Amino acid sequence: MNASNASQSWVVVADDPAVTGLVEVARTVADEVVAVVVGARPVADTVAAGVDRVVWLGEPGAVPLEAFAPQVAELVAAARPVAVVGAATPAGRALLGAVAARTQAPVLGGVRTVSVADGRVVVTHAVMGGIAERTVALEGGPAVLAVEAGAVPAGGATAPVAEVAGAPLDAATVTQVRPKVRAGVDLGAASVVVGVGRGLKAEADLGLIRGLAAAVHGEVACSRPLAEGVEWLPKESYIGISGQHVAPDLYVAVAISGQLQHMVGVRDAKVIVAVNNDKNAPVFGQCDYGVVGDLYQVVPALTAALGGSDD
Amino acid sequence: MKIVVAYKWAPNPQDLEVRADGTVDEARGKPAVSEYDPVAFELARRLADETGGEVVGLTVGAAAIDTPLARKAALSRGLDRLVLVADDALAGADSTRLAAVLAAAVRAIGGVDLVLAGDSSVDVAEGQVPLTAAAQLGWLGLGRVTAVTPAAEGLSVERDTPAGVAVLAVRTPVVLAATADAVVPRVAGMKDILAAAKKPVEVLALAALDVPAPAVTLATLGTAKPSGGDRRAVLFDGSDPASAASQLVGALRSAGVL
Ligand SMILES: Cc1cc2nc3c(=O)[nH]c(=O)nc-3n(C[C@H](O)[C@H](O)[C@H](O)COP(=O)(O)OP(=O)(O)OC[C@H]3O[C@@H](n4cnc5c(N)ncnc54)[C@H](O)[C@@H]3O)c2cc1C
Ligand SMILES: Nc1ncnc2c1ncn2[C@@H]1O[C@H](COP(=O)(O)O)[C@@H](O)[C@H]1O
Repeated sequence: MNASNASQSWVVVADDPAVTGLVEVARTVADEVVAVVVGARPVADTVAAGVDRVVWLGEPGAVPLEAFAPQVAELVAAARPVAVVGAATPAGRALLGAVAARTQAPVLGGVRTVSVADGRVVVTHAVMGGIAERTVALEGGPAVLAVEAGAVPAGGATAPVAEVAGAPLDAATVTQVRPKVRAGVDLGAASVVVGVGRGLKAEADLGLIRGLAAAVHGEVACSRPLAEGVEWLPKESYIGISGQHVAPDLYVAVAISGQLQHMVGVRDAKVIVAVNNDKNAPVFGQCDYGVVGDLYQVVPALTAALGGSDD
Repeated sequence: MKIVVAYKWAPNPQDLEVRADGTVDEARGKPAVSEYDPVAFELARRLADETGGEVVGLTVGAAAIDTPLARKAALSRGLDRLVLVADDALAGADSTRLAAVLAAAVRAIGGVDLVLAGDSSVDVAEGQVPLTAAAQLGWLGLGRVTAVTPAAEGLSVERDTPAGVAVLAVRTPVVLAATADAVVPRVAGMKDILAAAKKPVEVLALAALDVPAPAVTLATLGTAKPSGGDRRAVLFDGSDPASAASQLVGALRSAGVL
């Protein structure tokens, strides 16, 4: 792919209007940002508030959005944009994967900064699960970037939405959706987050953690095993490389060992506190304050010291 | 039904050393079957047993992924046979390149109905390879799969989506990536490990595969050890919980976070 259209970048949207993170990155490398939207019309209309032009592939009906990925890739490749930006979510990655396959360009994830230098896109991103960072300059094709989705763009100026007839792969039909019973959680907005891990002995003991969270006016989060596996908390509550990335003022890790895959999700927290009964737990090497002790004693004491009560 | 399980042989980056300049010393890493890939092995075995099919393991990477230990670790997890592409030209390959090689190997295996993969690999952990590989094959690729069962025309697939559990009627061929908790994988027993030694292994030469050339070149301008890893913990002894708690709260108040 030679002679890219250096003034244009594309965002690929997989049914989720939270695109401010995508658009922000797309704008750092090009003047014009075009969105291609797979999903219902209201998603396209919402995205139109944040970009310069929207290409909408029509109502998907019972077709899974991944079936539109090859068409998205064709549209994007034909425009030869300097960058293609999508959400680092499973749905976003399906679209980015098709773009990558069509252009034989790598998908760069863990993106920290993006800039343009000497006509090349320069990306600093985390590699190997976040243990290291690398800065690369790209040449020969688009910068295909998986980034944090961000928020839904605020209303206001609305870009034109052009409908292009959808041409999905004829391979799958959604026959049923069983809605989730549990409400989602918005950890991203919380200034204090209390995360709990596998050191918690029973689901009923979550009350202790909720009491502490209430005393610090925070939200409850967890490590992956508590949300996937035992399912004591909703999947949207777990923090880490495969879960939520948060940057609160204060993160309290209770009975979490501090594995890399968890800690990556809180590396941007201002202050990290750990409570763990194993003084050699790796989390103590990655926190600002730590209490070495049993959560069943330390958490109630902490809640009381903060003026809260256990429930 | 002919099922390929794409799995990765990789170390946990937690065990690797990052030098001050941000380069990674991989010498101390102990590679293994990537943490969540046994879920894909289990789904594949159950489906093959129900449909009278075959399960072929497939992994691609640098030459070091092909050792007797690595072969045995994969073959003892319910595979019928194993296919490898092990070439140092693939050391440090990005997800697009790995996916291109996987797709070429799937084409070389021939007649494949289903490629099953894990949620995300232990070292890269982006959940990208299976979706890119699907596109390289021109097949549908679906992630977040929690269940797969045979259906009249193809497969019935359940997925965990933001809206809830979606049930899909899916025609083959297709690429499916499982969630980490889709099924509980069985633990290989002594019998499985002994049987593994007798199962066929085929090594495909990278040069013999039809793999598209990468279009983008990456020039590395620098590497760094991420900041944030250098928090200096102030530790309080929790054997006196009340005193530890009040010290901590005091410290947090003076730090201005409460
Ligand atoms: C590809 C990949 C992606 C992953 N993604 C994520 C992710 O996004 N998020 C995530 O969280 N994990 C993720 N993981 C899993 C991760 O590697 C760890 O397995 C997980 O984070 C461990 O959770 P934990 O700390 O709660 O449990 P453990 O590691 O079991 O730690 C429990 C801790 O509790 C302490 N403890 C026990 N009892 C008490 C007590 N009474 N009082 C105080 N402390 C106590 C123990 O000392 C121990 O340190 C991923 C793994 C892989 C391979
Ligand atoms: N080199 C590889 N060979 C075979 N399968 C792989 C390889 N890399 C990744 N996969 C599969 O793709 C999944 C997601 O990997 P990743 O995109 O690296 O997070 C893994 O769980 C494997 O099932």
